Amino acid sequence: MSRASQWIAIVVVAVLALLPFVPGAVDAYYFSFLFFVFLYAVMAQSWNLVAGYGGQISLGSHAFFGLGAYTTAILWSGNYLWGSLYDSHPNIYYFDPVTMLLGGLVAAIAAVVIGLPLLSKLHGDYFALGTLGFGEIVKVIFVNGGDFTGGAFGIVAPASSFGTLRPHYWVGLGLMVATALAIRMLMRSRYGLALIAVRDDEMAASANGIDTLKVKVAAFAGSAFIAGVAGSLYTFYIFHVGPDSVFDLDWMLLPLMMTVVGGTGTILGPILGALVMYAVFDLARIVVPDYHPVISGLTIILAMLFLPKGMMRLSRKARVAGA
Amino acid sequence: MQADETLLRLEAVKKRFGGLVVLNNIDIVVGPNELIGLIGPNGAGKSTLFNVITAIYAPTEGRVSFRGKDITGIAPHRIARLGIARTFQLVRTFLTMTAFENVMVGAVYGAGARVKHATETANAALELVGLTARRDMRTAHMTLSDRRMLEIARAVASDPALLLLDEPMAGLNPTEIQRMVDVIRRVRCEKGISMLWVEHKVDAIMKVCSRVIVLDHGEKIADGTPRDVTQNRKVIEAYLGEPAA
Ligand SMILES: Nc1ncnc2c1ncn2[C@@H]1O[C@H](COP(=O)(O)OP(=O)(O)OP(=O)(O)O)[C@@H](O)[C@H]1O
Ligand SMILES: [Mg+2]
Repeated sequence: MSRASQWIAIVVVAVLALLPFVPGAVDAYYFSFLFFVFLYAVMAQSWNLVAGYGGQISLGSHAFFGLGAYTTAILWSGNYLWGSLYDSHPNIYYFDPVTMLLGGLVAAIAAVVIGLPLLSKLHGDYFALGTLGFGEIVKVIFVNGGDFTGGAFGIVAPASSFGTLRPHYWVGLGLMVATALAIRMLMRSRYGLALIAVRDDEMAASANGIDTLKVKVAAFAGSAFIAGVAGSLYTFYIFHVGPDSVFDLDWMLLPLMMTVVGGTGTILGPILGALVMYAVFDLARIVVPDYHPVISGLTIILAMLFLPKGMMRLSRKARVAGA
Repeated sequence: MQADETLLRLEAVKKRFGGLVVLNNIDIVVGPNELIGLIGPNGAGKSTLFNVITAIYAPTEGRVSFRGKDITGIAPHRIARLGIARTFQLVRTFLTMTAFENVMVGAVYGAGARVKHATETANAALELVGLTARRDMRTAHMTLSDRRMLEIARAVASDPALLLLDEPMAGLNPTEIQRMVDVIRRVRCEKGISMLWVEHKVDAIMKVCSRVIVLDHGEKIADGTPRDVTQNRKVIEAYLGEPAA
């Protein structure tokens, strides 16, 4: 990124961060719209890490999102973390970094456990199918988890105060920025070099000393961690965590489309894609509710036809041509 | 040659694909700072031999050892880190990376596993093969000849003791072939890297190498100086077909 675009990014983030102070903004429609853009942008970055940069097409994002959401709801409703502190501070679980990190950690551990066998045995399409199957299995486990998971109904978190979306908005924005910066740093490190090497040519990567399985599993786990934290944030918004809501395939499909439209293997692509695609989906749902899937589907087809490498790749191409 | 000086040792290596025996009872010893030509007709098993040494395939029978250590069956990336680098018959560069990034992979993850001086190592390797001017060019936009050079630079940057070259001259024009000969000589003289070099351009091999190994139908039929090899009956038959009765 050039100096100028870095400044633009900083200004945009600053404006977004100050937006909640604008009178009336919090109650406006676009406020919750932006919150969801942030959430989807984080999910898109998660998918981009393993699929865009790593070249391993995972179709299990929703499973990791749901694992993070459930972990948060279970820790909170069972008060497994803060003991008696919870009595004196009833809001202690809200956006609690420990709870959110544990949400990510549970998802990451699950990713390592299934990633090791899947990534060492399965390649390409079969890995994709394997992760899809994993998502279904996780969902069934949670539906049949008895009191611990609340069965088919799920868990209602013991919400107390926080009548406004402000903190959600800020945490969402913070997560989006933190994820983008973390992945940017990662991709400039020696690990990023290995990840691209594995994506470009696995055989050449291992012939040059890269432990390809380790690199792929790490990307899968990192991606799951991000999705788990996003799921945790969603729990603070939705309160009711159920198998049909947090394990919904949309939590995988939408971020995937957003990344593809925005530009896989780029830092800004997932964010841009989340903004544009969520706007299209939301607008279609409001304006033509019955035809919403048709409009959304058409947008994706058009995007793929005219932006085969995503919006970010288009701008890079223009830059190269202009240079 | 002293036993402890040996780099690579193949003992009775056999490789079978289903019913097809591709390598049969191969014994090869490679010492330090050797440049060995490996020739043989199409399908002789040359690339398969490289794939067995670098553990892309496990040998059906036999043993591969490097610096006295048995490396049969260990993972390819560990073999690279022990000091065996290679190029591929069908070039394998990292296409979305720049030339410099390609070479950095070797410098950072190869046998040298440098973190500190990786940049210098990478730049020096690009310089050695004459790609300094293409340092920041994306590999996807490079010519075949430059990609072959880049593969060698990446291998050299990994600081190997042994380099396996699989037809580095395939598809190159005469000028590029001369450049390649120069590069291979420099890799040996300046870096002291031993090389096992597969090539169909037999005249180039005979001119540059002090030792030549010939494979035919998976058998090693000759191993000696270029002069010995060109006078070997089996070699003449392999290249010219069965002698008239
Ligand atoms: N993975 C494989 N499965 C089955 N057969 C194979 C495999 N790899 C190689 N072979 C066969 O092994 C034989 C030797 O192939 P190899 O590629 O080693 O020959 P080569 O000496 O490198 O030939 P060339 O000079 O054409 O590159 C060929 O008959 C080939 O068809
Ligand atoms: Mg070959």
